[in-house]
Amino acid sequence: MRKFLSTAVLSLLFALGLNAQNVSDLIISEALATPDSTGIMDNYGRRTGWVELYNKSTGTVNYGGCYLTDDRANLKKSPIPKSDLRTKLGPRQSVMLFCSGKRVDGTFYTGFTLENGKTIYLVSNDGRTIIDSLFIPESLPAGMSVIKLPKDIRQRDFQAQEHPAVPSPGLLNGDINAASKADAMAATDPHGWTLSIVSVSVVFSALALLWLMFWLLFDRPARKSAQKPAKKKDAASNEGEVAAAIALALDMENGGEVYAAISAAVHLYLSNAVHDVEPGIVTIVRKPSGWDNKALNFRKTPKV
Amino acid sequence: MEHIFSSLSQFWEYTGFANCSWQNLVMIGIGIVFITLAIVKEWEPMLLVPIGFGMIIGNIPMFPGLNIGVYEDGSVLNTLYQGVKQGWYPPLIFLGIGAMTDFSALISQPRLILIGAAAQMGIFGAYLLALSFGFAPNEAGAIGIIGGADGPTAIFLSSKLAPDLMGAIAVSAYSYMALVPVIQKPIMLLLTNKKERLIRMPVPRQVSKKEKIIFPIVGFLITAFIVPSGLPLLGMLFFGNLLKESGVTRRLANTASGPLIDVVTTLIGLTVGASTQADKFISVKSIGIFALGLLSFVIATTSGVLFVKLMNLFIKNPAKKINPLIGNAGVSAVPDSARVSEVVGREIDPSNHLLMHAMGPNVAGVIGSAVAAGILLSFLG
Repeated sequence: MRKFLSTAVLSLLFALGLNAQNVSDLIISEALATPDSTGIMDNYGRRTGWVELYNKSTGTVNYGGCYLTDDRANLKKSPIPKSDLRTKLGPRQSVMLFCSGKRVDGTFYTGFTLENGKTIYLVSNDGRTIIDSLFIPESLPAGMSVIKLPKDIRQRDFQAQEHPAVPSPGLLNGDINAASKADAMAATDPHGWTLSIVSVSVVFSALALLWLMFWLLFDRPARKSAQKPAKKKDAASNEGEVAAAIALALDMENGGEVYAAISAAVHLYLSNAVHDVEPGIVTIVRKPSGWDNKALNFRKTPKV
Repeated sequence: MEHIFSSLSQFWEYTGFANCSWQNLVMIGIGIVFITLAIVKEWEPMLLVPIGFGMIIGNIPMFPGLNIGVYEDGSVLNTLYQGVKQGWYPPLIFLGIGAMTDFSALISQPRLILIGAAAQMGIFGAYLLALSFGFAPNEAGAIGIIGGADGPTAIFLSSKLAPDLMGAIAVSAYSYMALVPVIQKPIMLLLTNKKERLIRMPVPRQVSKKEKIIFPIVGFLITAFIVPSGLPLLGMLFFGNLLKESGVTRRLANTASGPLIDVVTTLIGLTVGASTQADKFISVKSIGIFALGLLSFVIATTSGVLFVKLMNLFIKNPAKKINPLIGNAGVSAVPDSARVSEVVGREIDPSNHLLMHAMGPNVAGVIGSAVAAGILLSFLG
């Protein structure tokens, strides 16, 4: 039973892990239903509506086999070919699909045309699970698109914007003029003092936390416990004092340094001050096994 | 006959003599100097021999387009260089360092961890200086990490923040690591008096196996939760240490601390050296990087020593005072900077051994520089 449970938990975790970089990471990030005369043209020189898919994960996702539809009752309306290698979408990248109404136009074309007032659905490769959807407002002017923008810095959750946007096919929405982190830092902290102070504080905090943790968990208890046997050693230290007194007496009587040295050694030994702790040292005493004794190892001459 | 001359002339165009420039010769000369220092002076031979020879390899003048250069896609050198460019080698080296490092000195005296934090000032001091010299923030961050005195961390961060400067940064970091005894000693002597240098530190307590096993787990959790961007370095460092201390994965620890780190060190040294191709390397920026790298080491050593002196102001018990000569070891050049503490300490008192005490801030410096790299990556990456 325990094995079954652990296998089930591991499988679940594995499945969740897999889910982290699959088609569920795709969103419909932008759509334009009615192009104007300045709109982008497809490979056939036509101006049609288009949908942009975006991979919000940090791994590559293959959207081949998924479906696009504008009809909730028909989720498999426009399948995306499975066999095309170009359907792999890199991390934080987007792809455009033209809504020409003719699937035969190619991989990046849908079998329906876009219209205002409709909702587009991106359907998983099982043909049942809706991954994402985007509503195109009835009032969306020609030449304008509806976009989704990230809600926060992690860019995991996206939200459709109410206001029409200037189309940005194939580009990250709202990111055209966005500065890199380094550029942003150059603008906000040109001399670097803020970053330096914050960074030094973080380094100190991290290591101070480590110090505090080990001081509380191990160092302090270890030092306290080291002090306890010292009380027990009182008797031993008395013995040491006795040994020292004997040494002094012997020294006075005989004037010999040998005894003093012996007594000092006894004192040090009793007060446990000269020993290294050497756990795990095994002394092997050699015992003759007779393995090299020719007399024992020679085969005896068989008696006839 | 004419055909033979034309063939010879064509062959001449492919030789190093025809394509040679003075910059190539300068870089080859520097490579030879590195190798000489490594062999004659024995300064960081494990690093300087591969880097020096890599410099010679990378600067052999050649006809472009033969698909053999380090910057030519698909060439052998380019394939090996991917470990530097994509940042695989530094975490693997950290795995080996973790498997080799004994954190006992740090665990037995946890207060020494703070010295490892103080020495990271070199990174941020160099960052400020680089900004004032006109480097962009991401470049300044990559240059600043030289002050951590940690080659793999410098390569890892510069490959993310400023790939164009990686060659100069890596060579600068490794060169100054080799010169640690030369750079640090005068600063240590300048900032301390005789009385301070004679301080004897208490004998560290014995550390139990349980503490050694718990340290990499707790250490990793704390540092990685605070700076997740340092995960590749911190994760590998503490993982390697757990392999060593657990006692049940001796074979893995032996591989990580032996053959694996040897292979990766050879490759990283050779390819970093080869990446210093004259046309990419010799520039005003490179000179600026070398100057800032030196300053970062000076700042790191100074701040480590001064921080110990500051700590001593708050330690009332004279028996618990810390010898400021171990302050320099807060940089993560393991174990060179700790060895400098020992040598300088023994010059004034031959019976005062500081090595085991200096190893505490030294390994704390490894953790500190990885944390600092993570912070810079999260702000500037």
